[in-house]
This record gives sequence, structure tokens and C-alpha cells, in this order.
Amino acid sequence: MRRLQSGKLTALLILALFAGTAQAGPAGIGQRDTIAAKAGKARTIAELAAMYDSSSCVDCHQDAHDQWAASPHARPLFGTGRTAATFRTAITNGLMAWPYSGVKVPKDVKVEHLMGCAKCHLPQLADATDAVASELAVSLFAWADAVGSGDDAVREREEKKLLSLNINCLVCHNRNAIVHKWTDGYPQKGVVYGSHDGPHDSAGFPKLARSPIMSESILCGQCHGLGPNLELDNPTQCGTGYGSYLWAYRAEGGRETCQDCHMRKSKLGHKILSYSDPAMIKAALDFEADAEGMYWRDGTKVSARAVVRVAMTNRSGHSIPDG
Amino acid sequence: MPIPQQFGRGDRMGRGPYEKSGIIEDNGLPPNKRVEERFEVPFPMKEVDGGRQPSVYELDVQVKLWYLPFGTMDTSPHLWREFSTTVAVSKQGK
Repeated sequence: MRRLQSGKLTALLILALFAGTAQAGPAGIGQRDTIAAKAGKARTIAELAAMYDSSSCVDCHQDAHDQWAASPHARPLFGTGRTAATFRTAITNGLMAWPYSGVKVPKDVKVEHLMGCAKCHLPQLADATDAVASELAVSLFAWADAVGSGDDAVREREEKKLLSLNINCLVCHNRNAIVHKWTDGYPQKGVVYGSHDGPHDSAGFPKLARSPIMSESILCGQCHGLGPNLELDNPTQCGTGYGSYLWAYRAEGGRETCQDCHMRKSKLGHKILSYSDPAMIKAALDFEADAEGMYWRDGTKVSARAVVRVAMTNRSGHSIPDG
Repeated sequence: MPIPQQFGRGDRMGRGPYEKSGIIEDNGLPPNKRVEERFEVPFPMKEVDGGRQPSVYELDVQVKLWYLPFGTMDTSPHLWREFSTTVAVSKQGK
């Protein structure tokens, strides 16, 4: 009886060992051939910038590069300075104030802490170690302190660091070019994803491949907001434009994509602007106004007034304002 | 705009993406829907024998539609549309 029990225990242990082995490793096929998998997680801001270095694209794609450089995608961490300040506020008023975050000082910040912002402002942060998140947080505080103290040398140094990370060619045309990875494959290192397959005249990226979503709104929707990011331990919410697009526009019969309006019809290309661009402003809204005078009589009291009527029809693909 | 709810609870607006979850309401312009607004601007009135009459019989009315990306006129306001007209009321009548 004891020998039988010992044999049963051994069998159970062997089964458990195999079950554990079967569950190890990532799901899906092809993950190991992505840019991030090949490089390993970045350990510094400089390494992360190098991992997604798109500078070689400029040689042939100068126009697209120049358009992009004038867009907010070129400076997602910094913006005009306000974005960097908001990142800092998220750390001071959020992470450092919340009792269960584990953040007491900026260098405590980890990738997981920053993904509430970086999910959209720097999705490639997910391909970095916590050391990069800590370095970013320290840099943001150093920049803000330098602005406050008037230390131009430090301010410029930190701005340069923050501006080195952006939503560049390789983020949309490689890393984020495929949403359904088990269906369409993981984005591969050395491949530029666009509108068609074929060779690509580039030593670093010798192959072109078609992304089935390059002209679809879901490409933009990865970052441009559905509401609270409930997959995070402490959800954040910034833009809700994609959510508005799905439920207030597409659900009501709208058929155009983000790219239709923000790139093609507006002729903005990769500049992709919105509320500040004259072409977008003109296209976004039908506006009518009229006014007339009248006398209101309330018993014996007479009041003259101007009645002003304004009618607006939002012609965009989402609520205005939204983002 | 979609007025964000603070931490997905209560009646307070969240300020700063780190505390926004959900919305309280969306008071923006929904896509492809006509939104009408009506405003009444009183003429200045004066007391006279037998009642009241306007101090002026014409008002210059200006309508300006601003896009305020940060919620106030202090930071980066964008003028989207404007309309001007002169509104007159009659000088005779009961």
C-alpha cells in the first residue's frame, strides 16, 4: 500500500512538472522576432531611443518626416512643456500621494507606474526596464526644477533627453502596426509595415509588409482613448476620442476613419493636427448665427432684448472637444 | 467635452489624467447632431414718465466660438468662428 502511494505521489509530481513547463513562455508565435525581443529590454533612455531609432527613414521619406516633426507625435513626453509638467504632476499628486503605489520619491517610479501615461504617450516604454522609468521620472523632475530655478543648461539637457523619445515611424509602422497579433502575426524586426508587401531599400529594414490596419481607425485607437484603462492596477484616463468615435459616430452611421480626416482630406499627411489647424477647424463644424430685437412685456414692466440664436453641427468623427 | 469622473465615483470632476476614470456627462458637440443655443441680451433701460424705455435702440452683437484646449482663456485659446450684427428695436409703440 505504501509503495502504491509512493508511486502515485511520484506520478503526480511528474505531471505537475510537465504542466508547469507547458504554461511557461509567452503565448503566440513570433513574439521572439519583434524589435523588443531581439534587443532585450532597454536599460536606459538612450537605449530605448536607439531601439526605435527612425533616423534612417529620413533619407528617403523627408516629407513625411518633416510633417511628423511638426506634429504632437514628435514630442509626446514634452509637448510645449505642459505635457512634461503634467507627467510630473501625475507623479507628485498621484503616485507619491497614493498610499499603496510604492512611490515615495521619483526614483521609485517603475514602468508599471508610468504606463498609465506611457500607454499612449510612449507605448514603447513597455519594452524597457524599470531603470528607464526611474530615469524618466528623475529627468522630469530635474527639468521642472531647472525651469523653476532658471538653470538653462540643465533645462536644455533634460529637454533633449525627453524629446529623444517619441511616437516615430517605427512605433506606427512597426511596433503598433499590428493589433491582432495571433491573427496577423507579431511585427517583426527589419520590417516596415505599410500599405503593401515587397522589398524595401533600407539596410536596417529590407522588407515591406502590409498592415491590415494602417488605414483603419483602430491603429490610432490604440492610443487615442476608450475611457479608463481598466487593465492597469490604478486606471488612468486621458483622451476618449476613439471611444467617442466608436459609440457616438460609427454607431450612428459615420463611416470615415481618423486617417480620412486628419491625414488625407485635410492634406496634413503625417502632421496630423486637430483643433489648432485652420483646415481642420473649417471642416469640423457647421456654424450659423442670427439675432433680432424684441420687447418683452411682463405685466407693466417692459424690457428690450436681443435674442441671439446659434446652431452648430459637429462634422467630425467624434465629440468636440475630445482627443 | 466629456467631463471626467474622479476615480470613477461620485459627483466630482477628475483633474489630471491620473485621477480620471469614466465620465459624469459629455457636454460637447456630438458628431453629426445639430445643437442650438439661444441667448438673450438685455438692452440697457431707463425710467421715464409712464414707464421704461431703452437707453439705446441698437446693440452691436458679437458671437465668438472659442476652442479652449485647457479649459480657460488664459492658455492657448483658439477662435473657431465669429459672427457680428447690429440688432435694433423699435422706437415707437406701446
